[in-house]
Amino acid sequence: MRFGWTDDQCRFRERLRDHLAANLPPDWEEMADGPGSDEQTDFSRAFCKGLAAVGLLTPHWPSEWGGQGLDPWCQQILAEEMWMAGEPRGPQYMNVNWIGPALMRFGTEEQRQRYLPPIAAGDAIWCQGFSEPGAGSDLAALRTRAERDGDVYRINGQKIWTSYAGHAENCFLLARTGADRKTGISILIVPMDTPGITVRPIPSLVGEGDIHEMFFDDVEVPVAARFGEEGQAWSIIAQALANERLGIPRYALARKSLDRAIAILRERRVFSGDFVRVRAAQATAACEAARLQVYACVDRRAKGMDLGPESSSARLATVMAERAAGEFIVEFLPEALGDSHPLLKAHHQRAIVAGIASGAAEIQMNIIANDVLGLPREPR
Amino acid sequence: MDFALTDDQSAVLDAIDALARPYADVPAESHGFHLYSAALDAALEEGGFLDIAGVEELGPITAVLAVERVAALPFCTEFAASALLRPLLPPDLPGPLCLIDARDTARPVRFLPVAATALILDGDEVRAAPVDAGIVAPVDSLFAYPMGRFRDGHLPRGDGIGVAAEELRRFWRIALAAEMGGLLQGALDSTIRHVSEREQFGRPLGAFQGVRHRLAEASVRIEGIRLLARKAALTGLAEDAALVAFQAQDSAAAIIYDLHQFLGAMGVTLEHPLHFWTYRAKALLSELGGRGDQAADAMAAD
Repeated sequence: MRFGWTDDQCRFRERLRDHLAANLPPDWEEMADGPGSDEQTDFSRAFCKGLAAVGLLTPHWPSEWGGQGLDPWCQQILAEEMWMAGEPRGPQYMNVNWIGPALMRFGTEEQRQRYLPPIAAGDAIWCQGFSEPGAGSDLAALRTRAERDGDVYRINGQKIWTSYAGHAENCFLLARTGADRKTGISILIVPMDTPGITVRPIPSLVGEGDIHEMFFDDVEVPVAARFGEEGQAWSIIAQALANERLGIPRYALARKSLDRAIAILRERRVFSGDFVRVRAAQATAACEAARLQVYACVDRRAKGMDLGPESSSARLATVMAERAAGEFIVEFLPEALGDSHPLLKAHHQRAIVAGIASGAAEIQMNIIANDVLGLPREPR
Repeated sequence: MDFALTDDQSAVLDAIDALARPYADVPAESHGFHLYSAALDAALEEGGFLDIAGVEELGPITAVLAVERVAALPFCTEFAASALLRPLLPPDLPGPLCLIDARDTARPVRFLPVAATALILDGDEVRAAPVDAGIVAPVDSLFAYPMGRFRDGHLPRGDGIGVAAEELRRFWRIALAAEMGGLLQGALDSTIRHVSEREQFGRPLGAFQGVRHRLAEASVRIEGIRLLARKAALTGLAEDAALVAFQAQDSAAAIIYDLHQFLGAMGVTLEHPLHFWTYRAKALLSELGGRGDQAADAMAAD
């Protein structure tokens, strides 16, 4: 058992920090407000191309697809540094974390050749068409239909809470091709400029341009747009979601924001009472506990083991960390939700969805209760 | 980073498990508030387990892992203090040890009735005093440790032993956190057994979401304590030790409350072992100044 970084890992982190210092504009933190805004998305396109040019966009991918085959620890370091900087990769973090790896594993040769090179070049934005008005936590209740008609699927239905839909070129869409709750669901890769798709932004606390609703009216895609076999969606996304759940190192920005808030309170000489220090210690401990639980999962991944239900424990620990850090800042530095500390505000906006996105905290608790603790199952 | 146990660590834990097996269950005749086993303490000493923190290939991290295992038993032992603190102490100081924070002389002291040596943390000073049965009065308490106080109400003075107070405090905190991790895990496991068997409204208690979610949250908090304790043992940093002692004291009360809720009336009887874990954990909540003091040190660095 060893906690600490190798020299190579430290050098890799330094390289990332140097790249960020050289490539983020001086007003970047103001821009970080609104993870799906036009301004940030435009910046992220240029930034990702720059990362790709120096081999820092997909270094953990196999060399066959433009990566350097670096291990999952480097992937984690990359994710930490980017997320702590306010995620200048914008929506493209998702591509390199799980869409690309899913394409490599389950895509047809044609799909890989078509979609992987733009992702590796930093020139692709995707959105994930999962949730629907009647299917959030109960994702298997989704009703968007894809009916086979000769060589095409015809899609009708509605998706909601979709991040980045206003900018995406492609949608990783879940649609119903059969009656069975889970094995009746398939994945289609749908170009967002296909006729019949309407996208509307939903104003939200998360920031400008982040979440959307999408309508599919007789949208036709060729059968070759199907990803995986018909009915295979559930098993593919179970794995993809485990990656997505841990793909964002939320504890890292939570800790950075917390430290920044504490530094401001120290300067003002109001960080001396027992109460404020206990609250700060609660948030700090929650961030560090989450970090170690996520690292335990990265360790499994680095050793070629399945992530297992412990990824849900790590996710729940992360939700607790986001909550503790967010609540500390609101309580002791309320101006952070105004315009005086853009990074702290951006953190808050990202933190409020931690317990909701990629599987609500309550869903993680169900998984932990069943598969970590082995409790009797709830009747359905 | 590597979260796997080394072969040496696995071997130590296997040996501890073998030694602990006779102590996994509560004897039928037991109806006391605590279940101290001098024989288990002696077996741990004879097996060389009190010295593992000082062995280079094993170190404090292995001591933490071992303490967790032993604390998950319903029986209590003084193991945590000896396992983490002995490398700091003069080798001829006799055990069992008890730890005393000189700022708080009103609180009953864990293990005082069975201890041979009291380690006294007094500001910047660490002293050791021999404990003689004649100067100690056992305290009847709900806590699941043998508790005691000095008969005349005064701490013996003791002698300086050349140990830095900061160092004693650091390893006391790690010992406290490691023990808390094991205690809460033992209590959680016991509760899981109960809610998996006990049926109400036609199904096991553990099939109700109100129970399942709180147990899931407890398990994640306990895992956090355990991992932070490992980290503190590996880094040896004062702020890591303070942070995990804080986390242990800060998390435990709510977890203990929930576990007792799920045991219902059974959990307030002495025939169920839950209190052997939870009332040891409760004794740790206030040690070393409680979470206010741990927070002050954990958050001291700029």
